[in-house]
Amino acid sequence: MGEYVYEEKESFDGKKVKVLGPTYEEGKPDAKNDWEAKLGSPEDRLNYLKTALRYWYSKDWFGSEKRKQEA
Amino acid sequence: MADEKGKEKIRSIDNAAITLIEKAQKENVSTVFFRADELKPCPIGVEESCCKICGMGPCRLPRPKKAGEEKDRAGVCGATIETIVARNFARKIAAGTASHSDHAREVAETFLKTAQDEAQGFAIKDEVKLLEVALDYGIETEGRESREIAIDVGKKALEQFGKQDGELVYIKKAPLKRQEIWRKLGVVPRGIDREVVEMMHRTHMGVDQDYKHLMLQATRTALADGWGGSMISTDLQDIMFGTPVPILGTFNTGVFKEDQVNIVVHGHEPFLPELLVTATHDPEMKALAEKVGAKGINLTGMCCSANEVLMRHGIPCAGNFLQQELALVTGAVELMTVDVQCQMQGLQDVSECYHTKLVTTSDRAKIEGAIHIEFHPENGLDTAKKILRMAIENYPNRRHAVYIPAETQDAVVGFSHETINYLLGGLFRASYKPLNDNIINGRIRGVAGVVGCNNVRTVHDSAHIAMVKELIKNDVIVLTTGCAAMACGKAGLLTPEAARLYAGSGLAEVCEAVGIPPVLHMGACVDNSRILIAATALVKEGGLGDDISDLPAAGAAPEWMSEKALAIGQYFVASGVYTVFGTTWPTLGSEKVTKHLFEEHEELYKGMWAYEPDPIKAAGMMIAHIDKKRKALGLDKARERVLYDMAMRRALD
Repeated sequence: MGEYVYEEKESFDGKKVKVLGPTYEEGKPDAKNDWEAKLGSPEDRLNYLKTALRYWYSKDWFGSEKRKQEA
Repeated sequence: MADEKGKEKIRSIDNAAITLIEKAQKENVSTVFFRADELKPCPIGVEESCCKICGMGPCRLPRPKKAGEEKDRAGVCGATIETIVARNFARKIAAGTASHSDHAREVAETFLKTAQDEAQGFAIKDEVKLLEVALDYGIETEGRESREIAIDVGKKALEQFGKQDGELVYIKKAPLKRQEIWRKLGVVPRGIDREVVEMMHRTHMGVDQDYKHLMLQATRTALADGWGGSMISTDLQDIMFGTPVPILGTFNTGVFKEDQVNIVVHGHEPFLPELLVTATHDPEMKALAEKVGAKGINLTGMCCSANEVLMRHGIPCAGNFLQQELALVTGAVELMTVDVQCQMQGLQDVSECYHTKLVTTSDRAKIEGAIHIEFHPENGLDTAKKILRMAIENYPNRRHAVYIPAETQDAVVGFSHETINYLLGGLFRASYKPLNDNIINGRIRGVAGVVGCNNVRTVHDSAHIAMVKELIKNDVIVLTTGCAAMACGKAGLLTPEAARLYAGSGLAEVCEAVGIPPVLHMGACVDNSRILIAATALVKEGGLGDDISDLPAAGAAPEWMSEKALAIGQYFVASGVYTVFGTTWPTLGSEKVTKHLFEEHEELYKGMWAYEPDPIKAAGMMIAHIDKKRKALGLDKARERVLYDMAMRRALD
């Protein structure tokens, strides 16, 4: 990635501020974004499932389903 | 071609399809478009006011043409129009469920053979998904080899078909409240095959003759598809071939290459297509292609087989359902393989007009006149190479001038629910929370699933694209599968840039921040199960109610045509989703049955059907439903932020 591009914008209090512009890479990807490959060992995989997909696989995740006041 | 009023008939919004339809017309090649001109839908059959399940009929019971002439309509056995229409509808759901689930059976059998090292060329590729499914199935994983776990997973998956009692294993993945609704109504599927068989029995002459009771079993059958067969297919295919992750893909007939051997994989099962991907890299095959004067081998896909290899390997997609014959009209296709579902018999006649070899590959589906080379996993790679060799050797036989339309469109595909979860939070904070937060804060108004087929009675792709553009313009993020996904791909809606071009400002902001398109390609038609799981994750994350029916969400199949689409629609409705179908609707013969599906289902399942052929109006109905759900959740107005002190927190207890 080349130099960062900054844009000048107005902040909530009316001051001019410089903010970071788009940071995407130009062109087309030549490989798929195989994020699962980052999980090397069986322990990593199991831990990932228990945190990322805690909705089903974590024992201490209740989400919306065990609230005192139902929605 | 002009219609009877002399106006030029618009058949597609896709230029590639239009030019190939014109070419077919000039060359006097029969395609679905011309056959549809000659053959109008039966006016009695279209509303399902006809019973032909016994030898005393068929009993034709059309609605009276004039209002005020209504009278009780019944067949010779006394079956009321309600029974007849509900039976016809239920049988379609049974056929749709059987199709997805027989696909799933093939997947489970191949999976087990793969785990037992009996399938040539296949492997357990995705260990994360294997663990995920093992946890779902309650299979011990600790200290065990992947192969051992996979064997148990395969056996457990196969059990789901023949089970006679209890509940399908995936039912417990649904939100708790949804499970309660199903149990209360007695529609939890016991075993996949059992529900289909019972549905066929209950719709036999003289069995279940209460339309509401019939629809309960139809629902149980459909749930055996969505939370059964389709989910098994998706999960086990992911383990064998990899869970889809974002990948660059290309759409439309322009993906064919004039100077290469073009092969199209068409149908639904991903086994042979996967091995053809492997075989095309074989140096022996490459050398053979060179020997016959081709500059390479160009593997492409059509329909859901295309979706499978597109989202896992980036294999280009040559088009959707209504383009299958048109692909051959290019004169550039050496060979097309077909396995099961959505392959028109007309392909054989079209292939004979050119040099194309049409090859049927499933032991369950032959086409008269086509070459049959049966695929079995035990020698799958050998079969793939045999078929590839046949294609290469056919390259010198091109006898027509090749015409390949220029249209192609890049897209980002492969948004499994696991990948969406990862993209929203990264490896250490993967979560649906950012999506929930942006729905709650109103940047995203809601979520829509736009899925389904093409139907020649609607201008090809027009309803998909009009509806999806209307939805994203109104900040509704769209999840798409099947032929709808391909229509979106061809129209450039599956790129991150589409957010800036077509989406409302709120949705565009979120898409740009995450780096995703406003329309997410989630796979083939069996992968509608991914949408069910993504919707469940939204519920379980919190803040959007306790059930799928509480979500600001809706579903649609604006160009549906197959029985599978009706099964999908019914399991979405029964899962709590407001679902709008376009083009045609198969219960209009009975007001009571239609009212039951369109209104009374809401009382039962908190989801219901609707029918609207105008895609913009249909999108408006979906948005109105989304707004209704936002209001019910209290998201329709800005609230003053209250900072709680300890006393206020204690008061909550």
